[in-house]
Amino acid sequence: MSLIEIKDLKVHYPIRSGFWNRVTDSVRAVDGVSFDIEAGETYGLVGESGSGKSTTGKSVVGLEKVTSGSIMYKGLDITKAENRRKLDYNHDVQMIFQDSLSSLNPRKRIEDIIAEPLRNFENLSKDDEKLRVLQLLNIVGLDADALYKYPHQFSGGQRQRIGVARAVATNPKLIIADEPVSALDLSVQAQVLNFMKKIQREFGISYLFISHDLGVVRHMCNNIAIMNRGRLVEIGTRDDIYNHPLHIYTKRLLAAIPETNVNSREAHRASRLAVEEVYREQQSKYYDEQGEAYPLVQVTPTHAVALPQNVAQQLARQEGEVQA
Amino acid sequence: MAENFEQHSDISAADLARLTQEAQAEATPSTAKIIWSEFKADKPAMAALIIIVSFILFVMIGALFINTPKMMETNIMGYFNQPFTADYWLGADSAGRSVAKQLIVGSRNSIGIAIGLTVISSTFGICWGLISGYFNGYIDWGMQRIYDFMMMLPMTMMIIVLVTIIPHYNSVTLTFIFSIFYWEGTSRLIRSRTLAESEKDYVAASKASGTSHWKIIFREIMPNISSLIIVDCTLSFAENIGVETGLSYLGFGLPSQTPSLGTMIANANDPNNITQYWWTWLPAALEIIVLCLSISYVGQVLRRAADASQRQGSIN
Repeated sequence: MSLIEIKDLKVHYPIRSGFWNRVTDSVRAVDGVSFDIEAGETYGLVGESGSGKSTTGKSVVGLEKVTSGSIMYKGLDITKAENRRKLDYNHDVQMIFQDSLSSLNPRKRIEDIIAEPLRNFENLSKDDEKLRVLQLLNIVGLDADALYKYPHQFSGGQRQRIGVARAVATNPKLIIADEPVSALDLSVQAQVLNFMKKIQREFGISYLFISHDLGVVRHMCNNIAIMNRGRLVEIGTRDDIYNHPLHIYTKRLLAAIPETNVNSREAHRASRLAVEEVYREQQSKYYDEQGEAYPLVQVTPTHAVALPQNVAQQLARQEGEVQA
Repeated sequence: MAENFEQHSDISAADLARLTQEAQAEATPSTAKIIWSEFKADKPAMAALIIIVSFILFVMIGALFINTPKMMETNIMGYFNQPFTADYWLGADSAGRSVAKQLIVGSRNSIGIAIGLTVISSTFGICWGLISGYFNGYIDWGMQRIYDFMMMLPMTMMIIVLVTIIPHYNSVTLTFIFSIFYWEGTSRLIRSRTLAESEKDYVAASKASGTSHWKIIFREIMPNISSLIIVDCTLSFAENIGVETGLSYLGFGLPSQTPSLGTMIANANDPNNITQYWWTWLPAALEIIVLCLSISYVGQVLRRAADASQRQGSIN
């Protein structure tokens, strides 16, 4: 059994308008998303901004009101608040935020910030609590003198590590990492990502890794889901997604990864333009009449794509031939 | 579970005392120290603080030694006595009552009402604004309609009516009557900042850490809008001195046998007093000006202390 199972998750925001301010339409931020996360793995959730990945992540932590669908954890649906309370859900599921500065309360000292989940979920004595905070700081590579400082006294990378320390404080089973390194520069990105990997090895944590940076996702994730306009368009292992992409949206995302090899600049440019050409000409093949993604169909045991059955098979065969 | 952390960190219980000490050496100074260093950096504000504190202490303690009913008795021999004489330091009014003594007791009454009014109305307004802004949705809607209703009532008229229908009132009941009407401005101000503040990630992080709503409101959001609260409280304290004074001036504040700054300034109603007997009203007017100015200086320092980017003190 998987650690957490997300089934047909929908988050819709109402649009109110008119004289009586009635609900006239809704924004379908997340529109029927299903996937499972296994214990100890890193699951990547990729998509452009506005595709609903952060909303999905927040729903899994319980910060977002879910319109319909279920998130099963230990046999209970945690989209209901009473089930979250019963399970002490946030003891097991924590979150790392994108903006490291705004996610740390500027008026609290680091000790109080990291100890917050401990105070809520574990009754530790004052000394035990301080010891645990010191250990956590040590694990994320900060010195003990950080204890009584305020968040604004740290650099971006250090702050994000404080965020990581807070997330692992209760030794959770799953951490939702919502673009944890997007706001950091490249050298610090690597530092924080390696910390996250190290902590995962040591504590056996699963991550739901939300990102739009496919390079980072490749470094971190075993399984990847691609999200577009609130729906999943492709699910697969790292190999499936990077080497055998089927959906045009995945191909476009992959083509958008910047390439630093100057010698083959023209070739990359040509391949990017080719993908864009296919997208423009065959859009109707990949999306239905309303411009929405199709339901997912299984291509191989690990690989699923949101296309009509026959198109998916045909594309898979083509992809296979190219590989062979 | 604890073993899990023991394994992956080389810090154990033995290091606790040493590391705590190290951390304390590097600790950021406390808020009280920062405020004090701000005062030291700003001489006018320091003077203002000394004026306010010593003046309030002086009138609070001084008023205890004055027998008010006896002081308020009419003494025909002291009719508009000149100031700076042995019996009447600041002269006497038309009933021959000592202006200096009235000033002490009157300041005690007026400042007491202003403090009480600020504490009650600001506390209520802050709670109202925080709860309304944090919970949003239907709760916010309901609370804001109550606010709108209260705003719609003509405040001064209502107070005058209430004062006339309550038979025996004193400074305590007057404070409560004022408090019914003076929380609104604060509550709207606090609500608007709370609306913005509760969207921030640290609130989401607290929710994800399992912190309760009330703790988030009062321990997470409130400290973050403290600079706004402090400025609002100091300004409304200065304003509240004016509220009581204004109503007493019109004759609807404290009863005539209870002196206040307002009743003393009301002496200026008479053109004769303005031109010839200036000592009956001028000391009270000057006192209000000096107090309000000093309070706003202190408020500025508190605001600077709450905002690290504006600080002038040596500790940062």
